[in-house]
Amino acid sequence: MSGTFYNNSTFVAIIILVIVLLLIAGLLYGVMRNVKAMLREKHPETTQPGWYERKIKPTTELWNPTIVTLVVIGGLVLVLGIWGYGYGMNEVGVQQGYSPDQPIAYDHSLHAGKMGIDCQYCHTTASLSKHASIPSLNTCMNCHKGAQLRDKYAGEVSPELKKLYAAVGFDPETSTYDPNLEKKPIKWVRIHNLPDLAYFNHSQHVAVGKVECQVCHGPIEEMEKVYQFSSLQMGWCVNCHRQRGIDVENNAYYEDVHKAMKARGEHYVTVAQNGGLECSKCHY
Amino acid sequence: MGNSNKYWKGIEELEPIATAPVNKGNEFSESLPMDEIFGDAEELSSNRRDFLKFFGFSVSAVALAACNKAPIKYAIPYINKPETVTPGVPLYYATSCGVYNEGFPIMAKVREGRPIKLDGNPNSPLSQGGLDATGQASILSLYDTNRIPNPVINGEEVADWTEVDNQVVAALKAGSAKGIHVVTRTVTSPIMKASIDAFIAAYPGAKHVVYDPISYSGITSANQADFGKAIVPNYHFDKAEVIVSFGADFLGTWISPVRFQADYSKGRVPSPENANMSKHYQIESLMSVTGTNADYRFPIQPSKQGLYLANLYNKVASKTGNASLSGIESHELAGNSLDRIATELVAAKGKSLVVCGSNNQADQQLANGINNMLGNYGSTIDMSKGYTISTYSESAFDAFVADVKGGRCGAAVFVNCNPVYSYHKGESLAGMLSGVSVISTSMTMDETTQKAGFICPDNHWLESWDVHQPMEGSITVSQPVIGKVFNTRAAAESLRAWAGEKLEAAENDQASHTWVVNYLTAQGLDVNQTIHDGLGAVSGGSSVSYAGDVSSAAADVAKRKPASGMEMVLYQKVGPKDGTWAMNPWCHELPDPVTKVVYDNYVTMSKSDAAANGFEQGDWLKVTCNGSTIEKLPLLIQPGQARGTVGVALGYGRKAVNNNDNDLTDLGQNAYPMVSVSGGRVNYHAGTVTLEKVDSGYEFAQTQTHNSIEGRDFMREATLDEYRDHNNVRNEHKPHIVSLWEEYDYSKGHHWGMAVDMNACTGCGSCIVSCSIENNVPVVGRKEVRRRREMHWIRVDRYYAFEVAEDATASVRVGPSHIDKDFHKGEFSTKENELAGLDKLSKEDNDYSHYDNVTVVHQPVMCQHCDHAPCETVCPVLATTHSSEGLNQMTYNRCIGTKYCGNNCPYKVRRFNWFRYNLNPNFDYHFNTELGRMVLNPDVTVRSRGVMEKCSFCVQNIQMAKLQAKRENRKLQDGEAHVACAKACPSNAIVFGDRNDPNSAIAKMFANERAYKMLEEIDTAPSVVYLTKIRNRKENSTEVHHS
Repeated sequence: MSGTFYNNSTFVAIIILVIVLLLIAGLLYGVMRNVKAMLREKHPETTQPGWYERKIKPTTELWNPTIVTLVVIGGLVLVLGIWGYGYGMNEVGVQQGYSPDQPIAYDHSLHAGKMGIDCQYCHTTASLSKHASIPSLNTCMNCHKGAQLRDKYAGEVSPELKKLYAAVGFDPETSTYDPNLEKKPIKWVRIHNLPDLAYFNHSQHVAVGKVECQVCHGPIEEMEKVYQFSSLQMGWCVNCHRQRGIDVENNAYYEDVHKAMKARGEHYVTVAQNGGLECSKCHY
Repeated sequence: MGNSNKYWKGIEELEPIATAPVNKGNEFSESLPMDEIFGDAEELSSNRRDFLKFFGFSVSAVALAACNKAPIKYAIPYINKPETVTPGVPLYYATSCGVYNEGFPIMAKVREGRPIKLDGNPNSPLSQGGLDATGQASILSLYDTNRIPNPVINGEEVADWTEVDNQVVAALKAGSAKGIHVVTRTVTSPIMKASIDAFIAAYPGAKHVVYDPISYSGITSANQADFGKAIVPNYHFDKAEVIVSFGADFLGTWISPVRFQADYSKGRVPSPENANMSKHYQIESLMSVTGTNADYRFPIQPSKQGLYLANLYNKVASKTGNASLSGIESHELAGNSLDRIATELVAAKGKSLVVCGSNNQADQQLANGINNMLGNYGSTIDMSKGYTISTYSESAFDAFVADVKGGRCGAAVFVNCNPVYSYHKGESLAGMLSGVSVISTSMTMDETTQKAGFICPDNHWLESWDVHQPMEGSITVSQPVIGKVFNTRAAAESLRAWAGEKLEAAENDQASHTWVVNYLTAQGLDVNQTIHDGLGAVSGGSSVSYAGDVSSAAADVAKRKPASGMEMVLYQKVGPKDGTWAMNPWCHELPDPVTKVVYDNYVTMSKSDAAANGFEQGDWLKVTCNGSTIEKLPLLIQPGQARGTVGVALGYGRKAVNNNDNDLTDLGQNAYPMVSVSGGRVNYHAGTVTLEKVDSGYEFAQTQTHNSIEGRDFMREATLDEYRDHNNVRNEHKPHIVSLWEEYDYSKGHHWGMAVDMNACTGCGSCIVSCSIENNVPVVGRKEVRRRREMHWIRVDRYYAFEVAEDATASVRVGPSHIDKDFHKGEFSTKENELAGLDKLSKEDNDYSHYDNVTVVHQPVMCQHCDHAPCETVCPVLATTHSSEGLNQMTYNRCIGTKYCGNNCPYKVRRFNWFRYNLNPNFDYHFNTELGRMVLNPDVTVRSRGVMEKCSFCVQNIQMAKLQAKRENRKLQDGEAHVACAKACPSNAIVFGDRNDPNSAIAKMFANERAYKMLEEIDTAPSVVYLTKIRNRKENSTEVHHS
């Protein structure tokens, strides 16, 4: 950020210098070729076989085992290296598609899709906190105190809902909370995991950036069982930061930035242009 | 530029000391331990194959490990979420801190139900937003694995409190025939007071005894005699223009240091509009943190303190037309300074303050008499509403000990006090207690609790409801900010249970809550509002007037004989204080503000005395005083200490049970048994001491001498006279900078900056502990500090300079006349090759008197966030880069640990993680226990081995504040983005903010005439400015500077 030793004009000068030198080199090569051709024309008896004819051609004809071994090993290293690099970069720690079984087979396609419940009805803290947070069980009970789905299970309580009632100490027969029942929190399996070294805040994206949940979490309203839609790799974060703009116009926080932009005649600033790629925005 | 003092960092620099650090110029003290890895050089060749084997193995192991799938993580939501809790968002509660008797008002930051950081309550005059190191650190005592998890009866844990109560009541009934005693610290809580009353009502004849480890009875009894009111006065250092302190360490450990620092600093910062500051004289024996801040400091022997007070009394009396004391031998400080002090005190009549740290009633009465003649009562000293934090009376406790000895005590209840450790005859008390049913409510297995048959552990104060009345007329309220960690119960509830009261559901502190609500209601306070504020005003206090008689005090002073030989002074250190919270690693990892030693206590002595006795720094001494002997204590030579005195810190040598294998098990020696008793009162001026060298070669773990100054201009000081002449004194000559860099335009967003006012900074070190807690800085222990591997992101540098003799015209003269003034007031700071020359006197003439008078400066240093950062250009992997907001960013996951950045940093603020400090049995501190890790800040990465780290300007708080502003669709306000060090600072010496906001406090600091950047001339363009230190002194050295 503090600038570079080479400013633009030195850079341009160096480029021009390189082009000039290349031109001279090309010119000299042409001259030499012409001189050699003239020499061969005059004295054909002095011409000898070139380096390739003397050295490479006889060996390749014999298929030297050393060369073959080296080539095979080199090839293997290259292939494995490329594969390993790709594996390391894209597979290790990347859980795209991760879709573990949950203690309660909660169906997002039913709740968010068919019923059309807003994401933030349950994930209340997404616009307030770094965590979107899995809803506390009292949220589930808002509906499921009444909705016991007995019609689908021949008068019985749905087996999945039974787990919920057991957790909160609710007796569905009498529709009351029984204080004598032991309450037991539900241990959900976390699907979206970031390493500890990365800081991510949902409210920054949901409340400030106005990013739709689906941008990162995919078609969640169609998922019967949730899976990790995005790779959650740094490159994936950075790409979005490079593309998305900031709504500087409608947030008083950016008042000064907006004024400066207007003065410069600019209308659009991406997250990246506003410092959104700097390390300590996410790593501290 | 222009720097007038020749600074040095310790006596190690001035003479070769065997145990002093080597290779100071190097960033790291030692090279890599290749020999340890590969064995001897001869064996190296035979180890080559092994090396290759291991190498091959580790390569394949890494490859295999990389294939491992990430572990399964769980998320467990609440069953029924509390309405106010939002996971990931901190809540702040006003409560009060039980570290001191006073119930210090604090704000607790709570994340997901666990408190992770404490700060002062800004609305309270006691705190004014600051909190000292001990208070900061005390949060860890909540998550201490040494806490007693269940009640214990005769060594057996009993989980059921009803069972415990039955047995305790039986024991109390059995003991009541002989007598029952309830021993507490000074009770400032009306809740606790009511419980004690209820207990005594249930057990008629039971006695309440107060025991405090540090006694202020000299002050309370003097005020009882002079005013008829046994209180500690309410001192107003902010209103005083002349402050004279006789051995009172009021900025470090005396009475209420946080509040005194806040008040003191208000009068210490001159501005062009008001180029005045208070003048502070410190007359003391040891070098205290208060002494380091004084304008003039006079080292005296403690036995002469009364004499100097009496002489000052007489001088003030003659200047104000009052009667002088008779029979007082005339005594003067160097250069007739006492007379000068008296003149200045009288000139500032009603705006001056004389305080005395002695626990001697006569001394305190003399100080009262002087303050009375000066008309300070009602202005700088408020007697109508005094501190109620000390009602300790030695005679009452001595009577308890006599009762125990005489078999008149059948049962003793110790409520969170530990006399077996801190009473001067604690050992014998422990022996006597074997015939008594001892009941303790301590949270940990301290020395007294180890004698207890019944241990009924109290809650931590962050788990309790309580009310404290630290001062007449004002209360602080405690509310629980976490559920109980262990099966504990509030001591006030235990006492009532034993009194036969049926408690409401004890597990929720319901009883305490009801009592608090009832108390607040009875006081006519709005209950919810008072709990919310943590503060309240109640009726209390009474006006009194001086009716003292100093003649008996004068007679007491006149008959005192000077001690023969060396005199012992027992003192408290800023971190561990009286030793109650000594089992807290943060208190000990904090370097002492003056000596910069961590973890130890030691014998301090002047250079002259050490030379006369043939002692060297690091010698082990056998110390005998008042019939008590410490077999081995290392010697530390302390510049500025009075000749003829020996200092040993209290609060060490704890024998409490430590479940962890760390340095806290072995912490110095207990000096409480050396306390002397005079006039029935404990005296920390303990009298004659004998020393004997038994061994040598102790290496202190000391942080200050780790690197070299290299003659650079980093510290600027001037006198008030110079400042009045030129507001930009020492900063007149800005370096001419030619930059190789193309300047980046920081004007568009934020540009963060920090300012450190060295006039306000007292060097107390509160910022260091605050930073460590906020940023998950590991505790490394004594051995690693010796290897210069402390991890603190902010350090407070302390430099000494010899006092030079002043002109004959100067009214106050300190320092010997024979010191070479021209040399010591040069243009540049000390160069490496000049160090030897600094101390020519002692080498050539064996004269060490110049060590008696040194001036001290403190300078907090953190990452300077240079806009042209030298560290950034050398990082081969771009792990440290610059942000568009002027932050020097450190990205741990990119760092490969070349340490080039640390090497290239001119401020030496980068710290390298030599180890993984968490989950590592070699560093058995809180990072390694499940419970201790609760205190970690979840927004900050816990760094692993092999990466650099450093101050981030608390980027997590900056980001949080920005996000909040964006969410609320508004501009960021000044002060919203805060840093932990500035927030903790009791004297508001650190200011942080956005330099681009023209109305911000930081922009004003950057525009201040005193502001300079450290090492500005090398064009690192730091984002931190320091404000030149101004001392309220007469002498003028500008002519030297201009030459």
